[in-house]
Amino acid sequence: MTTARPDRLRSPTVPRPDEIRAPSLPAAPGRRPRDAGTGFGTLGLIALMTLAAMALPLVVTDSYLLHSCIVVLFFAYMATAWNFVCGYVGQLSIGHAMFAGIGGYATVLLFTGLGLSPWLGMPVGGLLAALLSVVVGYPTFRLRGPYFALTTIAFAEMIRIWVENTDTVLGIPLNGAAGLTVPLRGESLAALQFNGKAPYYWVIVGLLAGALTATWWLEHSKLGFYLKAIRGDRDAAESLGISPARYQLVALAISAFMTGIGGGFYAQFFRYVNAERLIGVDLSIDMALMSIIGGQGTVFGPLLGAVLLAPLAEITRGHLGGSLLGLHIVVYGIILMLAVLYLPKGLIAPLRSLLARLGLLGRGGRR
Amino acid sequence: MDPLILSFALVNGLLIGGIYGGVALGLSLIFGVMRVVNFAHGSLLMLALYAAFWLQALAGIDPYASVVVTVPLLFAVGFLIQSVVIAPLIRRESALVVEPLSALLLTAGVYLVIDNLALMAFGPDVRSASTSLALAPLMLGPIPVNMQRLIAFSAAILAAVLLSLWLRSTRLGRAIRATAQNRDAAVLSGIDVPMIYAVTFGIGAALLGLFGSLLATFIPITPQVGLSFGIRSFIVVVLGGIGSIPGSIVGGLVIGVFEALASQFVPATSAAILSLGLFILILLVRPSGLMGRA
Repeated sequence: MTTARPDRLRSPTVPRPDEIRAPSLPAAPGRRPRDAGTGFGTLGLIALMTLAAMALPLVVTDSYLLHSCIVVLFFAYMATAWNFVCGYVGQLSIGHAMFAGIGGYATVLLFTGLGLSPWLGMPVGGLLAALLSVVVGYPTFRLRGPYFALTTIAFAEMIRIWVENTDTVLGIPLNGAAGLTVPLRGESLAALQFNGKAPYYWVIVGLLAGALTATWWLEHSKLGFYLKAIRGDRDAAESLGISPARYQLVALAISAFMTGIGGGFYAQFFRYVNAERLIGVDLSIDMALMSIIGGQGTVFGPLLGAVLLAPLAEITRGHLGGSLLGLHIVVYGIILMLAVLYLPKGLIAPLRSLLARLGLLGRGGRR
Repeated sequence: MDPLILSFALVNGLLIGGIYGGVALGLSLIFGVMRVVNFAHGSLLMLALYAAFWLQALAGIDPYASVVVTVPLLFAVGFLIQSVVIAPLIRRESALVVEPLSALLLTAGVYLVIDNLALMAFGPDVRSASTSLALAPLMLGPIPVNMQRLIAFSAAILAAVLLSLWLRSTRLGRAIRATAQNRDAAVLSGIDVPMIYAVTFGIGAALLGLFGSLLATFIPITPQVGLSFGIRSFIVVVLGGIGSIPGSIVGGLVIGVFEALASQFVPATSAAILSLGLFILILLVRPSGLMGRA
């Protein structure tokens, strides 16, 4: 039988990229290989969309509709966070929900235990998620083969089962399968609790704008170019002194940080966390599926995927949920298989060429 | 700690570990030949468990006798999944090796469909099958050995040995190994590669048919039972060396014994978390797995 060939450890004689760069070369602002205009066009589009989205609660006052919009944008944010690493490094995570779980649980526990405001609890949860991501990513990114994908799913499921069966750990109440509720504090900005839906909506729009901007930054940063080089040809990139493990790990940690904050938002918005929904494999697959359907490795692909798929889930659950348990997930699975087979670049690719044909997109509209 | 209790845990850990290894055999075989991680691995085991359950519930067939149905049935399911779902992806890829991540996603779609169709068809109730054979526990000195587990354990070892021999000595087995080594060279030698792939996937699934029948008597059967076995199989194959048949059994034994012994000191669910630590440690120290070739 053949066995997987693990990636031999990087030779210690290969200099790190920052050592290669001659010290006399200043980091000139104009050194970006691509024309900056296109990139700032994307950034402008993000700003424009954010402003337009921010204004929505002024028009839409129906609470249910606004709630649905928040759910869709939450998924868009999570898919964008997933895409930050998986869309760009050519590795697949099917366990990203563990980062959401650690973020959500940390936010709630810091609030109930120490009275720490969720505004601080969310980034702390994000940092803990980033820490966990290093534990998963460090041993696996050095290896070739499906190690990272298998390890993410194994970790996420084991952690979910552990949380579901643990009531307290070291005096910290996890409350097992029942989950944790966020105690009500009434309308309070500091506790990130509001009576209306609109403030939550503005928070998630802000988070999504941040994640999109981070993805835009990635595409134009050195990190992004390294990742593209690694994805294109790992050996060639390595021979140029780019350490695949190191830069993939950086992208993963940033992605996990964003996902952890998303978990914190989930906890605040639903005022409830439990392992099955926040750490379970369904959320992990949702994040991956939406990115892939929309177009992974693009700034707006995951957003497009979430806008298309999240309402579909909501509708099938609402209309068929009672009678046919799990039908919407069957539909999801079929869509996933069709997308992998016939639309590997996601829906954003045909959409782009359509827009370009209509003359709505400039020459550089590739991203 | 009482040595008697510890040795009881050790025996149980070995039995469960061997079963883990047997369940993981198909995953390892399929990956070794096609470089495809079958995410739906556990779902196929779940189907086999339900097949054994329904054969007993509807036709009164003993789970141990149902092997003659579940094995061919699962072979057919595996053959179909490969030739209908995965083959188009392999045809699309011009490179020697399929991009493994697309295949993983594709089989994740298969997992979603199978598990939720099972949920719709069978409902969320927990079922169990029982055998009419009188299986008194075997006494190993003072330690009682559960016969149902011993049978499944022996089947796992036997299946691994027979599979290795078969791959080594038969014409079809050699064709499978040739395809695993070099797909294009295999085509040039006149091997029907799509057929080999479908047969390999079928054999991987048929092994799950066997364990579905053997485990049905002592595993609670639910539509979700597959995922936990699938995850355990992922850990087992990475631990043993992806694509290695003996590695699959060794990885299973290591995880089984480790969890059984650890759960003597901490709650069982925390023991599972500790096994993740062991997993990371082995990835760091010996990334090719215990039995993998570096």
